[in-house]
Amino acid sequence: MKKYSVSTPEGTRDILFSECVLRQGLNVGLKTLFSRRGYHEVITPSVEYYDVFLDSGTPIETESMLKLIDREGRILVLRPDVTTPIARIAATKLSAIDTPYRLFYFQNVFRSDVRHAGRSTEIMQAGAELIGVTGIRADIEMIALAVESLEASELTDYRLEIGHAGFFKAVAASLGASEDKIEEMRRVVEEKNFTALNDILKDFEESPYTAALRKLPQLFGGAEVLNEAETLIDDGEAVKAISYLRSIFNELKAAGLSDRVIIDLGLVNEINYYTGVIFRGYATGAGGAVLSGGRYDQLLAAFGRNMPATGFAVNMDALCECVKKPEESKLSEIIWYESGALREALSYMNGKREGSAQLSAAPDIKEAQREAESMGLKLTCVGNGARKL
Amino acid sequence: MSNVRIALTKGRLEKKTLELFRKAGYDCSELNEKSRKLIFALPDSNIEIVLAKAPDVIAYVEHGVCDLGVVGKDTIMEKGRSFYEVMDLGFGKCRFVLAVKKGENFYETYKSRKIATKYAEVAKSFFDNKNMDVEIIKIEGSVELAPILGLADGIVDIVETGTTLRENGLVPIEDVACVSARMIVNQASMKMKKHEIQDFLKKCEAALEVNENGE
Repeated sequence: MKKYSVSTPEGTRDILFSECVLRQGLNVGLKTLFSRRGYHEVITPSVEYYDVFLDSGTPIETESMLKLIDREGRILVLRPDVTTPIARIAATKLSAIDTPYRLFYFQNVFRSDVRHAGRSTEIMQAGAELIGVTGIRADIEMIALAVESLEASELTDYRLEIGHAGFFKAVAASLGASEDKIEEMRRVVEEKNFTALNDILKDFEESPYTAALRKLPQLFGGAEVLNEAETLIDDGEAVKAISYLRSIFNELKAAGLSDRVIIDLGLVNEINYYTGVIFRGYATGAGGAVLSGGRYDQLLAAFGRNMPATGFAVNMDALCECVKKPEESKLSEIIWYESGALREALSYMNGKREGSAQLSAAPDIKEAQREAESMGLKLTCVGNGARKL
Repeated sequence: MSNVRIALTKGRLEKKTLELFRKAGYDCSELNEKSRKLIFALPDSNIEIVLAKAPDVIAYVEHGVCDLGVVGKDTIMEKGRSFYEVMDLGFGKCRFVLAVKKGENFYETYKSRKIATKYAEVAKSFFDNKNMDVEIIKIEGSVELAPILGLADGIVDIVETGTTLRENGLVPIEDVACVSARMIVNQASMKMKKHEIQDFLKKCEAALEVNENGE
């Protein structure tokens, strides 16, 4: 019986004291930012029907969804992401409201993962979605918001990398490879696995496309990457993707937001889900991405309303790891009140720095004195008799 | 210049890796001495080396406490998830094979097959790709024993020369994959410490070319 009564389920944890303060601070910072940019908060249920995710085309594997069965035998899942429920809302509940929708959320998501790998099952996410508008200005708005989110979080250092699903798709399509081969290539480009990529490309006739693909794992860095990519290829769609990224970069640069923005044309994760720009944020102190997002123009159609959309989510747990913990405010004083003087004691506490004062629960003033002495704290007494003391 | 921490696989790959780093211009002499130290700062460089077991190399690199790692493709296939695999170092070569008892007709039966292996994930995905439903039994020690004792119909294992298989009456019937040592990089490190990591990788690449030219 004792076995499961003292620990939390694997992948979950208790969050205590200064970490809560830190989270709260980061949450407030991001909430303020999102609200200032005209985004509105939504809260979705912790459980959803499995079908919401099953047919939506989200890149979350069904194995990693935590499932429950309801009274009628229907399968529920603890929400594995928030974007899909938001797409459900936008496609249904919001249909009477004019687009675009600017929405944000602060919610935990649940993903079961391999055992003992140090990954979380419950992850706190903050995110923003811009639904119902396509085009470069929407993408710029979202990427700028991502940069501002990282900027607002007081990280030691960070990078936001931007890629475009269209670049790889266009180049790979020009090769005339089978779907399986393209997926194989996509995977090795994602891993920046030069050796495996070269092996796959051996089966294809040399062309500007094979040359461009061969270079793809190295095509990350500053804006110069775009120049290099342009010399490699003159195909319509691929060039369009490059100049699209260049326009975004230039706009960010003019806004003074490009210092930590990098380009990675080899960013091809989940390109069957993302339909345009893809971006990820990294920060000193986190081994994985702290932010990820992009354009997903096909998701809404799965809920019966074909609308373009873009957005991102910040992994707040990972972000917290990268930010210096605030100092816990120290207790310096306890307050003992005479019966009838509670109001006075409470208003006295209101004037103190948060966390610096507590009420004493001692039954009499002598006990309160002993308590203060043993803890090395100042004792303040409130009430008529106390004043006489 | 930021420090770059590299996790090396202890044992089989260790000597060759250190030789490569030496050729790349790093002084690894402290690592050659017998000691119980686990972390080494290479003199006159920003490189720090950690010695670890192969699966741990992957854990350290995935979590970003090490920026780079040197580990066998076998471990990557079994344990790997999200990191960049940027270089085939060319040494530590061996093969993953499917081996069965001599004379055994592995495929031509409707009975579901049992496979003994140390590499459950590798075996699983190999047979998944063949649309074959097999039962996998994870064995920690000498896998060759399992078919001999009648526990399994075949094994999926690493083979260097094939002597052990032969001596136990087993024959390889199919290659699963070729294996060699790989350089892996944490995804965040690749972006946050691009300059330092590329500098190191270039030096290793140059040293590898010297190796290939037989110098």
